[in-house]
Amino acid sequence: MTCQECHDFIDAYIDNELDVAASILVKQHLRDCAQCRPLLESRKALRSLLSNPQLHFEAPESLRGRIQSALPVAPLPAIRREKMRSINPWLFVPLGLAAAFAILLGLVSINQNVMLGRSDISPLVEEVISSHVRSLLATHLLDVPSSDQHTVKPWFEGKLRFSPTVHDFTDHGFRLIGGRLDYVKDREVAALVYQRNKHAINLFTWPSESAREAAPQSFVKDGNNVLHWAHAGFEYWAVSDVNQEDLRAFADLEIKGI
Amino acid sequence: MDDEQTRLRFEALMLPLMNDAYTLARWLMKNQEDAEDMVQESYMRAFRFFPSFQGTNGRGWLLQIVRNTCYTALESRKLKQKEAPLEEEPEELEDPAPLPFVSLDKKATIKTVREAIEALPADFREVIVLREVEGLSYKEIAEVSGVAIGTVMSRLARARHHLSLSLLERKESGQL
Repeated sequence: MTCQECHDFIDAYIDNELDVAASILVKQHLRDCAQCRPLLESRKALRSLLSNPQLHFEAPESLRGRIQSALPVAPLPAIRREKMRSINPWLFVPLGLAAAFAILLGLVSINQNVMLGRSDISPLVEEVISSHVRSLLATHLLDVPSSDQHTVKPWFEGKLRFSPTVHDFTDHGFRLIGGRLDYVKDREVAALVYQRNKHAINLFTWPSESAREAAPQSFVKDGNNVLHWAHAGFEYWAVSDVNQEDLRAFADLEIKGI
Repeated sequence: MDDEQTRLRFEALMLPLMNDAYTLARWLMKNQEDAEDMVQESYMRAFRFFPSFQGTNGRGWLLQIVRNTCYTALESRKLKQKEAPLEEEPEELEDPAPLPFVSLDKKATIKTVREAIEALPADFREVIVLREVEGLSYKEIAEVSGVAIGTVMSRLARARHHLSLSLLERKESGQL
C-alpha cells in the first residue's frame, strides 16, 4: 500500500468501514510508515474531541407536546361523542389499551352506583374518577406539560384563585409530568399529573372548606384506586389505576411534602 | 382503529428519536428556534409519509426527512433574502492531500469545538454530525444525504481535514 492509498483509506479504516483484507493492509502500512502514523494520531485526537456528549442537543421538553398536538387527530370510532387527543407518550400504549378495553366492557359508566357507605363523599369519588378517566381517554391529560414544579405552579397562579402546592417526586418513582385545570363539584380545581411506571396519577386539589385534617381514606371503583385526604388547608384526591400501596406511598410523600 | 393504531405506532417509533432529530436540525440550522420548527415540521412530514415507511431503520428515515426539511428552509431563505449564500460552498479540491499532519491535542474546549463545527461548510458539517455525533454508518449517511457511499468517504475525509485545520488555527490563535 502506498501513502496515498493509506490517506484515501484511513477514514474508512478508523470508522471500521473497510473489509478485513483492506483493513489489514492499512494497519500494516501504518505500522511500517512513520510518515503516515501522525495522520492516524490526528484522526484519533479529532475523534476524541468529537466524542464529547455535549455535542448532542436535547430537545426542549415543550417540543414533544407541540408535535403531539400538531399531529392530525385520528378519531376513535368506538366513541363518537369525544375525540381522542394526544396524551402523554409514556402513557399512551397501556392507557390506550386499557381505555379500549374499558369501553368494550362498558366499564366507563360513570352513573353506576357505588357502595361507599358515606353518601356525602361518594358523588365526589365518582366525580374525580370520571375526571380522571376523561383526562386519559378523551379530552386531555395536560395543559402544562412539564416535570418542573417551578413551571407548573406559576402556570396555575394566573388561572385559579388559589395556588396549589406542587412537588415532584421523581426520586421516589412518582414523576411530575404536568398539570391542567379541571372541574370538581362545579368548581375549578388544580389537577396535577404524575407518572408511576406506565400509569398516570391524577391529583386533584383545592382549598378545604373547613380547616380539618383528614387522614387518607381509600376507595375502589372499576379498577381505579382513589385516595382522599385533607392537609394544610387543602383537599386532595388522588386517582389512578396503580395499586393501593403505591397510591398510599404517593399520598405519604405529598403529605410530608418532600 | 387503523388511523389510531397508525398514530400510536408512529409515536412509539418516532418520538423516542426526537433528540437525534433535534441534534441534527440544531447543527444544520445553528440555532434553537429554527431547529425546533424544523423538527416539528419534519415530524408532520414524517407522519404524512409514514404509511410508506417500510423499513427497519426509523432513525435513518427520520433523519433524512429532517435533513431535507432543513435544506428546503435554508434554500428558500436564501432565495428570499437574495443575499450571499448562507453557506460557503465547499471548495472543489480534487485531492486534499498532502495533509499537514495536524497534531491536535484533546484539550480543546467544547465551545471551540462547537464553533469549529459551526464554521464548516454545510456539506462538511452534515457529514461530521451524521458520523461523529449521530454515529451513522457510511451506508446510512449515504441514504440520509442522498449520495453514494464513495462520496460519503471522500466528503468525510475532507471534512475531517478541514475541521482539524480549523481547530489547529484556533489553537494557534490561542483559543484552544
